[in-house]
Amino acid sequence: MTGPHKERAVTHTRLDVLRLPLIGLLRRRWGRLALQIPLLAAAVLLVIDGFTGPQMAARNLATVAPWVHFRGFVVLVLLLAGNLFCMGCPFTLPRTLAKRLSIRGRRFPRRLRNKWVAIASLFLLFVTYEALDLWASPALTAWLIVAYFAASFVLEAVFTESAFCKYVCPLGTFNFVYSTISPTQIGIHDPEVCRACVGKECINGSYSPTPLVRLDDIPGGQCEVRHGPEGTPGCGTLLFAPQIESNLDCTMCLDCARACPHNNVGLFVRQPGRELLRPEAWPKRWDVSLLAISLAALGLVNAFGMVPPVYELQRALIKTLGIQSEWLMIGLIFGVGGLLLPFALALLAGALSRALARKKLSLRHTVAAFAPAFVPLGFGIWFAHYGFHFLIAPLTIIPVIQEFLGQPGDWAAFSSTADAVLIGLVQGAGLVLGFLWSLALANRTAARLYRRDAVPGLLPWALLLLALAFAAGYVFSLPMEMRGSLLMG
Amino acid sequence: MSFFRLIAVGLLLLAAAGCRGQAITPTPAEKLSIEMAVEPDPARVGEAALIVTLTGANGQPVDGAKIGARGDMSHAGMAPVLAEAEGGQDGRYRIPFEWTMSGDWFVELTITLPDGSTMTQRFDVSVSGAGS
Repeated sequence: MTGPHKERAVTHTRLDVLRLPLIGLLRRRWGRLALQIPLLAAAVLLVIDGFTGPQMAARNLATVAPWVHFRGFVVLVLLLAGNLFCMGCPFTLPRTLAKRLSIRGRRFPRRLRNKWVAIASLFLLFVTYEALDLWASPALTAWLIVAYFAASFVLEAVFTESAFCKYVCPLGTFNFVYSTISPTQIGIHDPEVCRACVGKECINGSYSPTPLVRLDDIPGGQCEVRHGPEGTPGCGTLLFAPQIESNLDCTMCLDCARACPHNNVGLFVRQPGRELLRPEAWPKRWDVSLLAISLAALGLVNAFGMVPPVYELQRALIKTLGIQSEWLMIGLIFGVGGLLLPFALALLAGALSRALARKKLSLRHTVAAFAPAFVPLGFGIWFAHYGFHFLIAPLTIIPVIQEFLGQPGDWAAFSSTADAVLIGLVQGAGLVLGFLWSLALANRTAARLYRRDAVPGLLPWALLLLALAFAAGYVFSLPMEMRGSLLMG
Repeated sequence: MSFFRLIAVGLLLLAAAGCRGQAITPTPAEKLSIEMAVEPDPARVGEAALIVTLTGANGQPVDGAKIGARGDMSHAGMAPVLAEAEGGQDGRYRIPFEWTMSGDWFVELTITLPDGSTMTQRFDVSVSGAGS
């Protein structure tokens, strides 16, 4: 390891939140469990209420908690803190059982070590959500939670790395993409310590079946390093702490910080969205580019599914294409609107950008350079959508819990709705700020790539971002409807 | 905490959840016919009324009941609309109501008769936008 460590070491502030009181407890051996156990308990309660409680979405924990409050908190926490929901994710708890069963051993297939499966699982989740009206069905939501645990267990059991988190999980993929705007990131204190470290425990782990002691010569003296059965696994998504440039793929499990025998890995406060400005932090891959761009478009399509024009579109599809399958129709809307169209437009913008700026950068590199610019606007769209659901009746979870416990729910006291103007302002602020941030990123990318030809090179991307922002603004300005789809009556 | 302790905690949670409380079930009112209509019809966003007609076993109108109405949207997390009415005339009760959003609604009526017996019935209502 050479030079790059020094550069990376100064890309964040020196504030390591893991060295603060209380928060520092997360670094302890069972620190993550302190977050996971409450969320596991919550997941168990949701499943129980989903299967045994009232099958009315508004009065069941299985639907109210995940589809309203969880999603609202996720976007807030990503914006203000970081990927805490992956950190506390209960679905990864079966890893421990899988490890004990010792049926791990293979790596995830090389051809699938990318984001294509994650994009497919995101698409599948959105289509399933709409086609089965998961938002209206406690029992189906409970089945989804069970399926999540099962999928996580199987993949963790079969493959060595955290294949479920890194390559499959749609919720984690959402968190990965939008944690790139978060104000915290894993980093290291002293690059010299990492250079001198022999075991690279942050990625290799400190677990070994038999106890092992080693002495590392690190700056400041010798340090005893112990491995053993009580050791900590290394990074499940195979990120090497001194080289982490981005929150993409980081579950914030803190295994790297726990495994580091030199207490050199931390969770640092940084400039929000830092990696979106740094070309070297963003992989130049079609899958990653499509993920960032399509997730913004999927946010728009997801919101579009709740406004009256979607029913006109469905009627038109029935009339013109004769579609009678609910799954096919929703798959078509999400596939075209959320995947094909945005990516085709991104390819077009990339080609125009290259032509207008007369630059011979490849199309793949051009699209990859501008793809991060879609993250803030995409986040703004999701923020506006989830913010609406959260603010429309933020306290209704309380009477739902009361009823779960067999008490009469005090609906009159906890059914207040945030002011419609306030909700509109929050949505508008999310969209406008997201768009401006995206535009600034695209402008900076164009300046870096095209220098004197930055303006014409920026133009196609700016228009695409503007179109996306306008479309989102239009959708959010329409009255929302909460109903099943046309074919389901 | 060992992994098996973790499993134990999970099992305890399951057991605790199994002890979920049960609301007291009121005495059901027998052979009561409940019909509900909405004003305006078809329903659209804004102020409205539920017109409930109660009929006894032998077809006579039932007055003097207390009716609680609760409207929930099919989507989770929406605030319910709560309303009630008492008395009735010729078995007909008018309950001022408001459809706060277009979409699919479930209206649950809880009828309490003068003798204390109760009955609950659910109606599905599709509400269109204010301008529709």
